[in-house]
Amino acid sequence: MTEKVLFLNQKFDRPATLEEYRENGGYGALALALEKYAPGQVCDLVAESGLRGRGGAGFPTGRKWLSFAGRKQGPRYVVPNTDEMEPGTFKDRVLVNCDPHLVLEGIILAAYAIQADQGIFFIRPSYEQDAQLIEGELNRAREAGYLGKNILGSDFSFDIEVHRSAGRYICGEASAQVRAIQGYRPNPRKMPGLHLTERGLWDQPTLVNNAETLACIPAIVSRGPQWFKKIARTPSGAGTKLFCVSGRVVRPGCYELPMGTPLREIIEQEAGGMLPGSEFKACLPGGASTRFLPKKQWEVPMDFESLKKIGHQLGTSSIIVFDHNTCLVAATINLLNFFVRESCGWCTPCRDGLPFMRHLLLEIEHGRGKEEYIPMLRSMAGQMRHAYCAFAPGAAEPVLGLLEYFEDEVREHLSRGKCPCRFSDAGGGFRRKQCLT
Amino acid sequence: MPYLIIDNRHIQVPRGTTVIDAAERLGIMIPRFCYLKVLGAVGACRMCAVMFEAGPVKGLQMSCMVQAADGMRVSTTHPEAVAFRRQIIEWLMINHPHDCPVCDEGGHCLLQDETISGGHSRRRYTGAKRTYPDQDLGPLVQHEMNRCIQCYRCVRFYQEYAGYRDLGVMGIASRIYYGRFSDGALESPFSGNLIDICPTGVYTDRPSRFLARRWDLQRADSICLHCSLGCNTVAGAHYRAVIRQESRENVRVNGSFICDRGRYGHAYANLAERPRQSRLDGEPAGWREAAREAAARLKRIAAAAGHSAIAVLGSARNSLETQIMLRYLSHHAQWRPPRFFVNGSEARSTAAVVARLDSRLAAGLPDLEEADFLLAVGVDPVNDAPMLALAMRQAARKGAKIVVLDPRPVELPFAFDLLSAGLGDLPAALAVLVKTAVSQAGTDGCEAQEKAFLAALPGRVPDEKLQGQLGQAGGWLAASRRPAIICGSAIAGPELAGLAADLALLLQTGKTPSRLFYLLPGPNAFGAGLLQRGSRYFPSLLQDIEKGGVRALLVVENDPFFRYPDQDRLHSALGKLELLMVLDYLPSRAARAAHIFLPGATVFEAGGSFINNCGLLQYAAPVHEGGIPLAQVSGGSHPPRAHAPAPGSEKCPSAYEALLFLANELAIRPPTMDASPWSLLPEDFPGQAELLAHPYPTDGLQLLPRLSEAESLQTPVNLPTSGPAAGALTVLRVEQTFGSEELSCYAEPLRQLAGPPLALLHGADADRAGVRDGEQLCFEIGGEKVELALQVTNRMAPGQLIIPHHYALGRAACRLPAVVAQAELRGLTGQDSPDLPQAITES
Repeated sequence: MTEKVLFLNQKFDRPATLEEYRENGGYGALALALEKYAPGQVCDLVAESGLRGRGGAGFPTGRKWLSFAGRKQGPRYVVPNTDEMEPGTFKDRVLVNCDPHLVLEGIILAAYAIQADQGIFFIRPSYEQDAQLIEGELNRAREAGYLGKNILGSDFSFDIEVHRSAGRYICGEASAQVRAIQGYRPNPRKMPGLHLTERGLWDQPTLVNNAETLACIPAIVSRGPQWFKKIARTPSGAGTKLFCVSGRVVRPGCYELPMGTPLREIIEQEAGGMLPGSEFKACLPGGASTRFLPKKQWEVPMDFESLKKIGHQLGTSSIIVFDHNTCLVAATINLLNFFVRESCGWCTPCRDGLPFMRHLLLEIEHGRGKEEYIPMLRSMAGQMRHAYCAFAPGAAEPVLGLLEYFEDEVREHLSRGKCPCRFSDAGGGFRRKQCLT
Repeated sequence: MPYLIIDNRHIQVPRGTTVIDAAERLGIMIPRFCYLKVLGAVGACRMCAVMFEAGPVKGLQMSCMVQAADGMRVSTTHPEAVAFRRQIIEWLMINHPHDCPVCDEGGHCLLQDETISGGHSRRRYTGAKRTYPDQDLGPLVQHEMNRCIQCYRCVRFYQEYAGYRDLGVMGIASRIYYGRFSDGALESPFSGNLIDICPTGVYTDRPSRFLARRWDLQRADSICLHCSLGCNTVAGAHYRAVIRQESRENVRVNGSFICDRGRYGHAYANLAERPRQSRLDGEPAGWREAAREAAARLKRIAAAAGHSAIAVLGSARNSLETQIMLRYLSHHAQWRPPRFFVNGSEARSTAAVVARLDSRLAAGLPDLEEADFLLAVGVDPVNDAPMLALAMRQAARKGAKIVVLDPRPVELPFAFDLLSAGLGDLPAALAVLVKTAVSQAGTDGCEAQEKAFLAALPGRVPDEKLQGQLGQAGGWLAASRRPAIICGSAIAGPELAGLAADLALLLQTGKTPSRLFYLLPGPNAFGAGLLQRGSRYFPSLLQDIEKGGVRALLVVENDPFFRYPDQDRLHSALGKLELLMVLDYLPSRAARAAHIFLPGATVFEAGGSFINNCGLLQYAAPVHEGGIPLAQVSGGSHPPRAHAPAPGSEKCPSAYEALLFLANELAIRPPTMDASPWSLLPEDFPGQAELLAHPYPTDGLQLLPRLSEAESLQTPVNLPTSGPAAGALTVLRVEQTFGSEELSCYAEPLRQLAGPPLALLHGADADRAGVRDGEQLCFEIGGEKVELALQVTNRMAPGQLIIPHHYALGRAACRLPAVVAQAELRGLTGQDSPDLPQAITES
């Protein structure tokens, strides 16, 4: 049995209560930090643990926190990011429902570490039940003295309120999220040389962290950064990770496993292997913004560095599994449908380039493709890296994966003048319809 | 100062310069769509991508988002950058309609230029284009959303730069839509700038729609005449009609933009009813014949009643050349010195401004943008001079505190504090505010005279609430480092102008580099103010006419009936004249009443020099050669390919030429017939030497003296601190953004936007008079009864009745008393200067 950090109090049928959380040592880390550690020391602990952001980009959390030293005082904000709109990703929802106080304690510790005054729990509108759960648990934490003025008798004061998103994928991007909270149009905004940690919400220093990232903090504080780092199965990883497995597997679900667990092991052991009659063809290893990963690579340990080495990304570690019956051109169109719809419309490559790419793929899927479409797709997908934010490069990843590992399948569409998978797609009525619209 | 290499050329630029601007300095125009220097960089279109080959930044980057740094080596022609930019064009063009042949932007379209220069000539996208419904955005701007390439320039200008919220961006992804929530006229008085900044044809000039290609226009640099700011424009004429104007960049004046009054106000030059025929005693006559007869009659009158029986009235819209000629003519013919203002208060205010403004004090619009505290007194910026509001907004965006002290319910597109004070209280309130500030900041640097002046200033106003607000604003002023006072002259008298200068000087002695910005009543009011020296004001002239001392009046480009409050008196006085000679291009009431009428030429035909409110002399070039617009003489057929000698091609001489002709007939000979106007300048005119170079530098010639010779901080001021007597109302005739200015009120699209005129009254006064909001009131104006709807608001000073100058009031000034429903307001008549705001009492 592997060590649990995030699902320690998992009850499967209901969220863990405040009492249950405390019985297992909950809020001990907060008490410890307030008593023993200066804010900067908490940042150092997190930096030492090797924790990297769980929202997809994998930025070293400690480094982000340490950059607050020397930033202007006045109101500072922590924004726990629970927007979670990456297709195939549902870990934050499971986490919040499993152990809400673990997330809350992580937020409060982060706030202490960067000396924030206010937390704004940014949550996706379709997670309304979860928003209400958090609001209820916030009240309990407040009554218990974990939030509000002079937390646990210290001179540190901090409170959290829940902000429901209006519900767009781009609101998960940190700078867009900050603008959304302020009531502006959620276009990502960059100012050269200026980060959210310097000028974020209302021009004040702001920390935006994924909910799962924050949930790792209590364990790092209470059990030490070295312990946390060593849970991982690879030297480049740290801690555990929530893997969301979906697609043609026996037991789709959210599994907490050590960082660096091999992909094959996750699919074959945790998710129970492929459905009867299905063969593994490819998967998206980290949500819709990552490349298709073919079977020849499925021994890869799932951590940021190991995937990067073979040209892939861990992303949100949401593994979407496709079987041998699935047309990957159709699957890519399905993904692009999402990205074309969700582009914020700010920059040209994303706004106009993605619909162009989808159009080319639709032509190919419908048997009207031309030879020149393949280099066009490759070139356009490559140009996406010069878009304004990380959205368009992410959207281009499945296309690049398709062309890198499954070009033969694409060419078969051209040579046959129709989709080669069309009639062999056994149970995939749903998928067929999706790709044809 | 970073030193970098762009396309193998070396350049050093100031720190903070973006690479796209650095390249522009080298003459390398990196393609762009979203980037506009004045709006800043946002990196949305990705069109300005260049390759950074060496230095702190590497790889393909947007040149608008990267600041120049030492050691950079940039290639704008790197194959990867060129390929990427070409790809951007293709993406932008997938939805763009191929309607260039019927698009008014065609030929000066940035998208067209970049598409051609980028080599995108073959369409690879075979899918359907997305289409949008268009909106009716009012009479000025035509909307055509299908052409949109989503560069965000329009909303960034409209919302961020100009501060209006009714046009914005909606939707996401490739369906984003720029427009309003529903059809309707754009609320911003700066909406026409959308046309200039849109890189394609989404927003086009509606009044000139389908009239001409821009490259077919006769275009010339012009100056806006619709207020005193002197914004720079490019006017475009076609078949003898001025059909559109665009903004012309001048960083000393208007920056990059102009207001809609300036952009669309030119219709007066093309009017079908514009007088083109000279008249002699009501009958058509040849121009020379009429002018010769005028000279003969002037000679007769001078012989019979003396030279001083002849008077001259110019205007603040005369070109400086015309004003100089008027001064020269009346001097040498020994007539009375010329007057330029019908309104005595405006004449005195302008005189005060001209006497007091010097380069120590004077601020231009760009200086206001940099101020950290702005105090506007007697000014309603959006209505008086819209571009002033835009400049003030830029200061507000940078964090400046802004206070407006005015009786009117001033509205501005940014956060500010409105301190409501009655017209009579303005000087005292201004003095209290500055006294508070100077006292707080300390009077260490002050000399005895300054201290005495400060001590003599009132320390209180009677209104407790206003006193508190003034104290607070005084604190802000004391804490500011770059304050500026903005002083109007439209409603307030000359006392305010003088006081504002004194107070600005007082602040300067306290080591605060405070600046001063005046508004003036007319595009060349400054010139009029310089050249009216020694003359008495029009109201006294009117008395002399009534008494028979003046028998001939020569009116040049002015209409006394337009603004003079007592129409009946004016009418009867002018009726006593032996000779009323009018020279104008407007179909004015004075023109109709003239014994001898000579048609004039507008600035678009004659050109001319104008001095703006900051003392900047600028030249407007002629745009076309004159004559009746071909559309009006061609009977609706296609204009002839060869014009001359098409009917209507006779052009009207400019006022300057007409006066020169008259001078010759009167045997007053300037050195030669084509003499430079500057050789006629009176010797006491300042800055004469500089003027001899004509035309001046394109960004204007600053005329202000270094130090004003006028006495300052002299008399301890005696300012009224009490409001009007209980129950009395001060009547204010005010300017509106649209529909009240003498020239632009002829423009039909602007009239549509002006709406019906409203009379404004404070709630307390309305209660006393027993009138309600929305009630139609009947006013007697110039002998005609006019209905005005009443608007009751508490966002104004009590004790004032505010009525707009408005074309719908027959372009006649309003003589109050008026019958106000139940309460009859009885006004004062027969005063020497009824143009000053009058106290009228309820009976």
